[in-house]
Amino acid sequence: MSIRCRTALLLWILLIWPVVGTMAQAPEGPVVGNLDSIGSDTMAGLMLRWGERLEERHPAVRLQMQASGSSTAPAALAEGTTRLGAMSRRMTTSERETFEAHHGYPPVEIPVAMDALAVFVNRHNPLDEVSMKQLDAIFSDTHDCGAKRSIDRWEALGTPDFAGPIDRHSRNSVSGSYGVFRREALCGGNFRVDVNEHPGSSAVVAAVAATTGGIGYSGIGYVTVAVKPLALRKGDGPAVSPSERATLSGEYPLSRTLYLYVNLPPGERLPATEHAFLDLVLSPEGQDGVRESGFIPLPDMVIAAIRQAMGLNRPWGEGSS
Amino acid sequence: MIDRYPPPAPVRRRFRDLRDRLFTLLVGACGIGVILAVLAIGVFLFVEVVPLFGGDTPASETQATTEIDFESLWLPQQYPDYETPRYRWQANVLSEDDTPMFSLTPLAWGTLKAAAYALLFAIPLALGAAIHSACFMSRRLRHRLKPALELMEALPGVVIGFVAGLVLAPYVERHLVGALALVLILPLGLLVAGVVHSCLPATLARALSLSRAGLWLIPWLALLVALAMVMSPYLEVVWFGGDMRAWLEQQLGLDYAMRNAMIVGLAMGFAIIPTIYALAEEALSGVPDSLSEGAQALGASRWQTLWNVILPAASPGIFSAVMIGAGRAVGETMIVLMATGNTALMTLSPLDGMRSMAANIAIELPEAAAGGTHYRVLLLCAFLLFVFTFCVNTLAEIVRGRLSHRYRRLGGLA
Amino acid sequence: MRRSTSRRPWLAEGPWAWLAAGGVALSLLMVIALLVLLAGRGLAHFWPQDIEAVTLEDGAQFAGQVVREQGLPGEVDGRERLYRTGNRDLQGAQWRWVDVADIDTRATPEDLVIVERRRWGPFIGRVVALEGPETRWTVEDGDTLWQQLDERLNRVSQLRSERDVVRTQYLEPLAERLANGEKVADDEDELQALKARIVNLQEAMQRDRVVLESLEGQQLTLTLDALIDVTRPNAMSLPAKLSSWGHNVWRFLSEGPRDANTAGGIWPAIFGTIMMVLLMSVLVMPFGVLAAIYLNEIAPQGRLTRLVRIGVRNLAGVPSIVYGVFGLGVFVYGIGGTLDSLFFADELPSPTFGTGGLLWASLTLALLTLPVVIVATEEGLARIPDAQREGALALGATRSEALRRVVLPMAVPAMLTGLILAVARAAGEVAPLMLVGVTKLASQVPVDGTFPFIHLERKFMHLGYHIFDAGFHGGDVESAMPLVYATALLLVLVILVLNLTAIFLRHTIRTRHRVRTH
Repeated sequence: MSIRCRTALLLWILLIWPVVGTMAQAPEGPVVGNLDSIGSDTMAGLMLRWGERLEERHPAVRLQMQASGSSTAPAALAEGTTRLGAMSRRMTTSERETFEAHHGYPPVEIPVAMDALAVFVNRHNPLDEVSMKQLDAIFSDTHDCGAKRSIDRWEALGTPDFAGPIDRHSRNSVSGSYGVFRREALCGGNFRVDVNEHPGSSAVVAAVAATTGGIGYSGIGYVTVAVKPLALRKGDGPAVSPSERATLSGEYPLSRTLYLYVNLPPGERLPATEHAFLDLVLSPEGQDGVRESGFIPLPDMVIAAIRQAMGLNRPWGEGSS
Repeated sequence: MIDRYPPPAPVRRRFRDLRDRLFTLLVGACGIGVILAVLAIGVFLFVEVVPLFGGDTPASETQATTEIDFESLWLPQQYPDYETPRYRWQANVLSEDDTPMFSLTPLAWGTLKAAAYALLFAIPLALGAAIHSACFMSRRLRHRLKPALELMEALPGVVIGFVAGLVLAPYVERHLVGALALVLILPLGLLVAGVVHSCLPATLARALSLSRAGLWLIPWLALLVALAMVMSPYLEVVWFGGDMRAWLEQQLGLDYAMRNAMIVGLAMGFAIIPTIYALAEEALSGVPDSLSEGAQALGASRWQTLWNVILPAASPGIFSAVMIGAGRAVGETMIVLMATGNTALMTLSPLDGMRSMAANIAIELPEAAAGGTHYRVLLLCAFLLFVFTFCVNTLAEIVRGRLSHRYRRLGGLA
Repeated sequence: MRRSTSRRPWLAEGPWAWLAAGGVALSLLMVIALLVLLAGRGLAHFWPQDIEAVTLEDGAQFAGQVVREQGLPGEVDGRERLYRTGNRDLQGAQWRWVDVADIDTRATPEDLVIVERRRWGPFIGRVVALEGPETRWTVEDGDTLWQQLDERLNRVSQLRSERDVVRTQYLEPLAERLANGEKVADDEDELQALKARIVNLQEAMQRDRVVLESLEGQQLTLTLDALIDVTRPNAMSLPAKLSSWGHNVWRFLSEGPRDANTAGGIWPAIFGTIMMVLLMSVLVMPFGVLAAIYLNEIAPQGRLTRLVRIGVRNLAGVPSIVYGVFGLGVFVYGIGGTLDSLFFADELPSPTFGTGGLLWASLTLALLTLPVVIVATEEGLARIPDAQREGALALGATRSEALRRVVLPMAVPAMLTGLILAVARAAGEVAPLMLVGVTKLASQVPVDGTFPFIHLERKFMHLGYHIFDAGFHGGDVESAMPLVYATALLLVLVILVLNLTAIFLRHTIRTRHRVRTH
């Protein structure tokens, strides 16, 4: 029997027996099916934690998650190898265009959490803050932010008793963090050639933790005690640490939103599994998972607005979205 | 149902013949099909790569296309933002006015550099091991030991890469002096072992004979390695004023990257030792006994026999062993991916990282939209890897075939 | 160097002989070191390690398990120590680096517990009280508290398995049946009853609560269903620790990953690897053997065949990533996409076969290992003396009969060797799989009770990829590392056993044929 037929019947069942009970505890109408997701490595832990919670709610949902970097999401969404993509940056215009060229409509963008792209050094490094211009001078060789020359040694950052060359660690180009960092910290310039490119955020953290002279960046959720996040200074302003408040207010220069992208033809409803997933993500329980992963939950008001816009407040299948 | 009246013989015969022919046809078709399917890999890659150079082929859909030709792939290019032409690999595109940079030269460089350092580490060890086990080891021990070294080949790249990248690299960085000192300490230690051995009383010397040295040297080498590691911080203070990295930087102008060519050479060398060893050992022990017996009858020592007779005879086999090892090193993905910083540098320094073609494909192919320029350039990388390893292996295979022919001639029918 | 002494010359065989011997010794040393490292780190993780209560020079206190110690950078004598302190929800981090010089006292009081939780990683500290619906036990009750806690934890785990049974054996099949349109009159009531039962079970699981306190003085109250296990390693005897170790190893092998792949087990990865390898074997064996028979028995042995043979042999040396590229381009994008648009058009844009999956991964690896099987089988066929074939033909057998009755049975061990080598290679291969269908999490194995039982289109977890993923993509490297070691150990063991079998088989056939031909 085709799955479409099954979905239609499931829809019918859910129409007859509307889901009852609160979101947190009561088992809802059984949701059966595969849930694929491809995308961000930064959000990997987050997606896994949401997945674990979703499994508790709907044991019959089969999760299949891949996470090697945000840039894999647009490619997979466009090629149709997944319907759900996690991205730690926004899609670029050309990625959107590629998607539209394949499907004829734009992807649906859903903000799901906040993150501060933390710049960190080894725990033995006395440095506490760095300016955005210095960051550009450390990581870039085009200096689009206006630095005069490269910074290659720690002394140049004002740490007299901590000398030595700077070891730069970055994500690889698949990563959304890489894109955000390039755009925001390097003003769209290029990374130096000798910046180490790691396949995952935790690899960046591990590398900086193991190298005394290391500096790197990743989502705030990956920062461990082995490294020390730096406060960032923009222009002449004060140095801002990647705290929850500074991230939500946007004071922290490298704060960003994490997104889910869904391939949803206009006028159609979300498939049951995706609906259940988004319902979970944009619920207190899902936002607790955000906190558990070390990221910053969206404000309740924003959540409410997104739920409204996505039609998540109605049980799945009631009316059209 | 029991067939009481079997059909007359000719009919049955024809039936059997038919069945035979059908069977042959089936097997033939399947066999040819399989072989074609396997060879289709090359064809597929070729077909996918061709549009890259097609010139006037329209871009599929709206993918950004960049002019790609031989020059832009292999020669330094003038990119915006830079004053001088240079080799850059930067496929990431932020916005419309951002140009991707597809220069394959640094990737090819990285691939060959990784392979070269791996060979630098693997060849001495593998050939030493092959020579020892072919010429000095007792037959029984050899039969035990060969499988052990073959097992090494089966160790998955991902495990080796993980250990190299997350365990070995930070460890070596903290014990850099000790690790570098090993290059001197280990050979010296072996010679010391040899000298000590000749001073041992006869009974002990027989128990610890050279033919079993492969085994009893292990604890001795382990002890040396441990000593070097323990001494490392003190040596660093004595020789390099407490900070070898600073010394390297000031004296030699070398920057130390944690995940560097040295680590990759070690890890990938480890992975290709068994390949080279197995083939070289085969070549060495395949040399007809009559040759070495003749040399020894003329008064040559075992080493002289080996050096003057066996090695020259087996050299094509050893050459092909090294070639096959090189082929494997060039294509190894996970080790390079995990044990280097994937920096597309073009330096020779063993303390810098590199980015290899195979690792680059593994990293970037999932993000490349099918049919786009980036996708095709990556497929071109795969095609180059395919052609390169195929050629190297074919060369090695032909040399090996010649060699076995020669042995047969030399050794008569033995 | 070659000075003669009265007894034996120094370095009698020359210096090079010793260096060559060192080649063997060093290679073996590296293998041994690698295996010891994996085994040591991988297995030690499951050992219930003592919890230390540490007081620092400044009077601050914390509790944790020692993870490792290393030198401080730039100092010859300075050491720092990493503690696993847990309590991520309270402290913000579950690790702590401490300068050894800062430590005042270290103690191992017996009442320290490590609590494995479903969320937020472990808790390390003290149990203050256990609260039932009516009663409350505190530390003053001594052993009663621990007994009660054990009993109640057991009760919760029983309730949980009961709930899971209700869910998987009744609720899901019912839902599936309803979804398939086989409606029976009282299904509606049954569904409601099942749901109510699950709610009841869940409430029952949350009946008891435990009050915990960290050494820093923060209190935490948890319902027992949020707990997985409570252990007091400091109070455990050696046999108790041993049994706990065994239990932990078993859980690692039999459970799924938890806490964003930084805790729990690797069962789905083990199963995924086995499934893929089995499927690959089914695909590669017939084709590999047929191709080998064709090459060795049927094809005219001319120049062309020799070329093809060299070509096939060389394909074994083509980098695995190239096969991955082929798999992605041809199987996933090409064939998979076409299948989807032909047969699963209803589903689009949700892909069915147009994405990486078990089938495509197995096919890619089958292609990758095809040369291995062909070469091994051909070797076996070539070893069979022509006398056997000629004898069969002379007795009037046709070629197919001679092949099937005489030649192939003799080549079976060679085929098995080929298969085992292929399996060993496939089990360790990761690079191509990254492109064609492994995932970091596929919570359910691709085999279940619903038709068609084996779901070829699903993605799967893989031991080798799990190593890469947990080590480089995982959330918290420190917590993931021990699991990575353990996974690597398991993978290496599986592959070693397979290879040993292949070596043994090859040895037997060689001796058998030697006996026969002489």
